[in-house]
Formats: sequence, C-alpha cells, structure tokens
Amino acid sequence: MRWRHAAFAGLISALTAIAAAAEEAGISVRDAWVRETPPGMAMTAGYMVLQNKTSRPQVFVAARSSGFETVMIHRTIAKEGMTGMEHAPQIELLPNASLLFAPGGYHLMLLNPKRVLRAGDRVDITLEFRGGLALPVAYEVRK
Amino acid sequence: MMTTVVLAAMLGGVWLAATYRENGSQAILLPDRVMTLFPDPKPLTAFAFTDHENRVFDLSRLKGKWSFLFFGYTHCPDICPTTLATLARAHESIAKSTAGAKDVQFVFISVDPNRDTAGKLGQYVTYFDTSFLGVTGDDAQLGKLAAQLGAAYQLAVTPGVENYPVYHTAAVFLVDPRARYHAVFAPPLDAEGISRRFEVLRELEGPKAT
Repeated sequence: MRWRHAAFAGLISALTAIAAAAEEAGISVRDAWVRETPPGMAMTAGYMVLQNKTSRPQVFVAARSSGFETVMIHRTIAKEGMTGMEHAPQIELLPNASLLFAPGGYHLMLLNPKRVLRAGDRVDITLEFRGGLALPVAYEVRK
Repeated sequence: MMTTVVLAAMLGGVWLAATYRENGSQAILLPDRVMTLFPDPKPLTAFAFTDHENRVFDLSRLKGKWSFLFFGYTHCPDICPTTLATLARAHESIAKSTAGAKDVQFVFISVDPNRDTAGKLGQYVTYFDTSFLGVTGDDAQLGKLAAQLGAAYQLAVTPGVENYPVYHTAAVFLVDPRARYHAVFAPPLDAEGISRRFEVLRELEGPKAT
C-alpha cells in the first residue's frame, strides 16, 4: 500500500504545484458564487469574474468539481428571438482582461450536485487552463 | 402623451417608461427600453393549460387580475431562475405599494411538459415565491398562447439525452385584467424597473382595465 500513498502524495503535491502556478501566472477569480438549487432540481449555475493579469492570452478549457457529476462551461445565447444555452468548449482570455460570468451570459453549468446546496454553503470547483494550469476556486452558495 | 404613444407605435415599437408624480395623481409615460406598452391592447383568445395544482388554467384565469407571464422550463440553470428571482422581488415591491398586489399574479409557463409535471412545477415556482403559479400544456395549447404574445420556444428533444436544449423567449408579458396583452418587459430584467413601471401603468389604466 505504501507506493499508493506515495503516488497519492505525489499527485497532491503536483496538483498543488499546478494550482500555485496558476496563481503565480496571474489568473484569478473574484465574486465566485453558485445559485442555490431550487428543491427537486438537479442543476444550477456558477458565476464569477475571471481575471487574466498576465501579459499573455489564457485559454479557459474546462472546470471540474467533486461536488457535481458534470461541470460545463456554458453561455446563454439569443437565437431567433429566443434564449438558449450553448456549450462553450473554450474561452480565450485576453492579456490583462477580465471575463464576466453572470446571469444571462457565461456560466458554469453544474449538473447533479452530490448534495443539496443551501445559501451560505461553499462549493469547490477547479478551473483548468490550456497548458495544464489549474485554479481551485471556492464558490459561495447564494439564493 | 397620446401623440407620443401613437408616434412611437407608428415607429414600430412602443417604448414607454413610467415616471410617476405622487401628488395630483399625474403620471407620465416616456419612451424607454424596459417596457413596451401597447396603446391598443389585443384581447387574448382561448387556450387551456393545467396549473401546478392540477386545476384548469385557461383564459378565464387571466381575467380580473394583472398577469405577468414568463415562458421557461425548470431544467434551466441560468435564465429561468434569474428571471423568477427578479419577478419575486418585483412582486415584493408591488405588494408594498399603496395599491398592493392583490390584483396581480405571476405565471411561469413551462414549455417542457415532458419533464415538468405539476408536482415538479409547484415545487419549483413556489420556491421563488409562494404565490407563483406554474402552468403547462401540450404543444398545441402552448403554441396558441405563445403565438398571441409573439413568444417562441423550441425543444430539441433527443431520445436518451437527459438534458436536451430548450430555447424560449426570455421576455415577461403583461396581460391586463380584461385578458388583453397590454405590455412586455424586455430582458435584461430588473425588479425595480418592472415594479415601478407596472405601478404607474396600473394607476393610469385604473378602472379602465378592469
């Protein structure tokens, strides 16, 4: 079993290093929140301001969380006078620019939460960028 | 004021915002982007839905009250909960107004009857506001009302796919107590913007609308 522990510890330190690299790289998040799930609903959305303080473009490619079955980058769009959602496979963040994830626009689509989310709870989601950078973010659940 | 209304109507979209003067019961409506007001409201014709308490929700249920209608579906993580939360806040402020909210109802019309059973709809809408109504119907009935309001929806139902895409008009429609399509609020919606304009409109219409 020892090697497994070692491998696990290795993995943890590697992840920590990657996370630290993202911070250092100057990608940060503020105002991170997730909408409380209405009763019986197995989905909700996450919002934030994603900031790229580096001098290079950064590409946001995925998000994952152990708190949900699936996390996807989505965007609410207008189509022929209607509103719908589409999957955004990747989003390029320009150098020294911020991108707003807000109701009616970009959001993290959070499917099948492992537990009921109530206002005041905390949800951890890791944002992944091209090149392997990962940024763990704590989201506050709000009504 | 009538000139403004007619002129704006002739220009294709009637945008009237509300500025309200407390004393002298003088209200003025000025063009704006939040609310489109129809100077000659069109009476709605028959349709039949079922509400979240399994009662018939038809044209007669729109009479005697101002109704805020919103098309959506419960498997909607972004725009629907955002709109319902906004409408709940608008309802709260209307309830605090002098005229109150006794003559007002909020109706969430699900365009996704496959997944939105009465039970689910009830749980969903009352989470936002205990007075909210959830209704739905088959495609033919939904189409009947949607067409009269200029609303559209589209379901990309895919067998085996749990979360199929749904498209729907995100505006909020206002039907007056005579069941006439009176105004529409365009997104992005804000509670204050809706309640203030509604209160002025209701004041202006007064007994005319009932």
